[in-house]
Amino acid sequence: MNQSSNFNMTGNEKAFRFISYTLVFLMMACFAMTIGILIQNAIPGWSSDIIAGITLFIVIDRLYTYKRMKFLIPFSREWALTLGAQWVVIVLFTKTLLSFANGPDSLIGDISSFTRGHLANLFNLEFVVTLSLAFLVWYVSGQFLGLLDEIGLDQKSALHEASTLVQKDILPAHQRLVNLTLQVGIGLVIMTVVTRVNLNAMLDQLDGSFTGLSRFSGAETGALFYFIFGFALFCLSRLISLQTRWNQEHILVASNNMARQWGMYSAFFLLILIVVVGFLSSGNNLGLFSLLGILFDFLIRTLFFIGQLIFFLLSLIFSIPFILLGLNTPFRYILPHTPTPLPPELLAESALPTNNPMLALIRSILLWGALLVIVGFSVARFVRQHGGLQATFRKIPIANWLFFVWQWLSKNADKTRRTLSRAIVDAWQSIVSRPDGKRLFPRPDWINLRSLEPRRQIYFFYLAMIRRGNEQGVERKPSQTPSEYAVTLESTLPSVNEDVHLITEAFVKARYSPRKINSEEANLVRAAWKRVQRALQMPRKPNRNQAKTKSEQ
Amino acid sequence: MSGAILPLLVVLLLVAAFMRGDFALTLVYMVIGGLVAGLWWARRALAQVETRRHFNTHAFLGEKIKINLSVKNKGWLPLPWLELRDSLPVALAGPHSFQTVTNLGSRSDANFEYSVEASKRGYYPIGPLAISTGDILGLGESLRAENQADHVVVYPKIIPFTSVEIPSYSPHGTLRHALPLFEDPTRVFGKRAYISGDSLRRIDWKSSASVGQLQVRLFEPSIALETFVVLNLNADDYYYRSRIDSMELAIVIAASISNWIIGKKQIVGMLVNGHDPLGTNSQPQAIPPRKGKLHLMRLLETLARSEVIDNSALVPLIQQQRHQLAWGTTLIVITGQAGDDLLDELYQARRAGQNAILILAGRSASDETVMRRAKIFDIPVFPIITERDLKIWMQASKHV
Repeated sequence: MNQSSNFNMTGNEKAFRFISYTLVFLMMACFAMTIGILIQNAIPGWSSDIIAGITLFIVIDRLYTYKRMKFLIPFSREWALTLGAQWVVIVLFTKTLLSFANGPDSLIGDISSFTRGHLANLFNLEFVVTLSLAFLVWYVSGQFLGLLDEIGLDQKSALHEASTLVQKDILPAHQRLVNLTLQVGIGLVIMTVVTRVNLNAMLDQLDGSFTGLSRFSGAETGALFYFIFGFALFCLSRLISLQTRWNQEHILVASNNMARQWGMYSAFFLLILIVVVGFLSSGNNLGLFSLLGILFDFLIRTLFFIGQLIFFLLSLIFSIPFILLGLNTPFRYILPHTPTPLPPELLAESALPTNNPMLALIRSILLWGALLVIVGFSVARFVRQHGGLQATFRKIPIANWLFFVWQWLSKNADKTRRTLSRAIVDAWQSIVSRPDGKRLFPRPDWINLRSLEPRRQIYFFYLAMIRRGNEQGVERKPSQTPSEYAVTLESTLPSVNEDVHLITEAFVKARYSPRKINSEEANLVRAAWKRVQRALQMPRKPNRNQAKTKSEQ
Repeated sequence: MSGAILPLLVVLLLVAAFMRGDFALTLVYMVIGGLVAGLWWARRALAQVETRRHFNTHAFLGEKIKINLSVKNKGWLPLPWLELRDSLPVALAGPHSFQTVTNLGSRSDANFEYSVEASKRGYYPIGPLAISTGDILGLGESLRAENQADHVVVYPKIIPFTSVEIPSYSPHGTLRHALPLFEDPTRVFGKRAYISGDSLRRIDWKSSASVGQLQVRLFEPSIALETFVVLNLNADDYYYRSRIDSMELAIVIAASISNWIIGKKQIVGMLVNGHDPLGTNSQPQAIPPRKGKLHLMRLLETLARSEVIDNSALVPLIQQQRHQLAWGTTLIVITGQAGDDLLDELYQARRAGQNAILILAGRSASDETVMRRAKIFDIPVFPIITERDLKIWMQASKHV
């Protein structure tokens, strides 16, 4: 069969890397924004904006350094040095910013505590929490990037790993990316809920008169856009994972513009999804673009803030000689104005309650319908996973009767559905095919082929026999036909002569005959292989030729 | 489906239900919408895919079979990716199979061409074609559909014989013969002077009148070669170590003899004791003797499809078939091993006025015992161990 060479992904690799890194950055920005708002709501005394800025800065650093750091061998000297240096800088940077947020005196006070050896004073709760968040963001970003590389962003390593690792129980990398995204999303949703609770009000009114549930906290924007960017990342990683698989299996990609078309379809799909969802939710439908504006406003201002910070730090370093000489510094230490995640006017605008009763009804139907479907699905899955429960239910007469009724109903419904659809299809085909007298192509049936076919099973047993024979010193020469090898093996294992013959015959039949091989034949071969395997495992006497050769030696 | 979707939805619904969170409801719609819409799109689009395969369904050995595969998306929904895997028989395509990936816009199509080599006789399925696609987000599993397989027939190898020593007792045919017993009055090849005892019917009165002396016509002897080829593919009748090669050789012999007989404008029939995927009860039907190229193609097609069979005795089949054949028909039995029952049956055929030839194909062909016993029954035996032995029929004939 002729088939030309395979698909080359290197052309797209840079674009894919850029887009995926951008999406990861945006997702983590949403995460940082939500954290910032949560801290602002929960502990107003802390520098929430600086903490959000620091986490975003760490994401940028992680994106920038990940490619170089991933080649380092874990726990090696170089790895420890690189990682240590990175974290020393992060810790110093975080502490400096947090101290300076309380004014230059606070910074100088912290420096003096450090020089006096009062290290415990430096590690206040705000600093420890910020460092923990920094580590969390650093770790999660690394997980995202690692999974993207495993999916196929780094084609060379992805193909190499696929060829060396054959672990079927591990989930595919794309699935793990989806899981990670959704798990982080769950955390984000919970954080968003917490931001809506006015904690201070709740703490003040512990007597039960609590009414501190705000309508819109601003963290929703982060959560919503996190999922939108997450979906975009799913689309991209799906394409990358497919391309990796096609490269592994040497499948020719016939289309030249697949990546471009994929991008277009993904954008179209997500756009429709957002528009429909925006319409359905009714609470935020008019504020969709406002929300987008809030997010990008936050991003731009955060990036500007980081730029200003860098300038500030540089100016601080250059001012040290002037301070030591007691001269006036040419720079002014003004910490840049930190970004606020949500302007108040937009908050008010977006927090408009829904007024349309029809939409409210649709929403509640959808909500409770979805809840019922999920509960039903979960219960069914739980029962399926616990076979004992199903058996217990079967023992109860009413449950058993209901089960049979359900079976009968589903069977009949399925039958009716099939008959109806067939009748409709036939009628439509006869209408369509009447003018030219042609019949439409039959509708394909769904099948699910998971297990090995009997023919493949026979291949497997025969190859296993050769492999085990090789291990036991009965090597098959490349020039030997199956029959010739069978003779060699039979002379070595006279006790399973018939079985070797049966396996060889079955293999030849399966390999060279297009005749259908049934599972009974495969079972016979399996039984024969077990006997041959046992015979191969038993210690053997050397045959006459081998004994002769040894005695000559 | 991803394992984290369910916990996420539960959390979102709880938030939406108990904390009046519009954003949670929005996320519920988004997650469920993304999942459902993605799966619906993939399912709907896959159902609208139509595939067709065009190729020559019959090929001679060594020919290249070009297969054109056209894939059409009849619906409005585009397919971001469509994986096509056409299962091809190992004997024709080797370890490779046709597999490719493409994307199809709405109401668009794509065409692919690939080829296989007819390197081995047989009846092979081309396909089934497995087409798979999936949702664009990768949240669900890939969807797969399969279309029916088509079949290709690769005819067996034909060796061009120039002469085969097949005896026949059927007079008035078209083949010249050495024995004057089979003189054909329609084949005049000369005249001679009348000798006392010549039949008056042979006198050519016109020539006699012109010469002034009685002249008699000389007739060329000829026979009609009505042949019935019996091919035995019963596994037990072949030496098991070389069974496959021997059977293939037997099929080549049957195909070549049939080709030679049809080439001589004679009639030939065939009975194959083997497995036929298209035959009634998976066994081929006996093909009555006929002449002509179309008939030859029918014979070759039967031979192409025939496969080894287990536990199917040949003798009862010959017994059943022999009574339907004309007197003087030559039975050519091609088998791996011949037992006493087969030799006895062929002897009975001889006694009933039919001829019998035994061709032993494969490594056990030179079995001395069979040769000796066949000689006792006066049945000609041709041992053909390899294809090289067929050269005896590729040389100039002595008799026929």
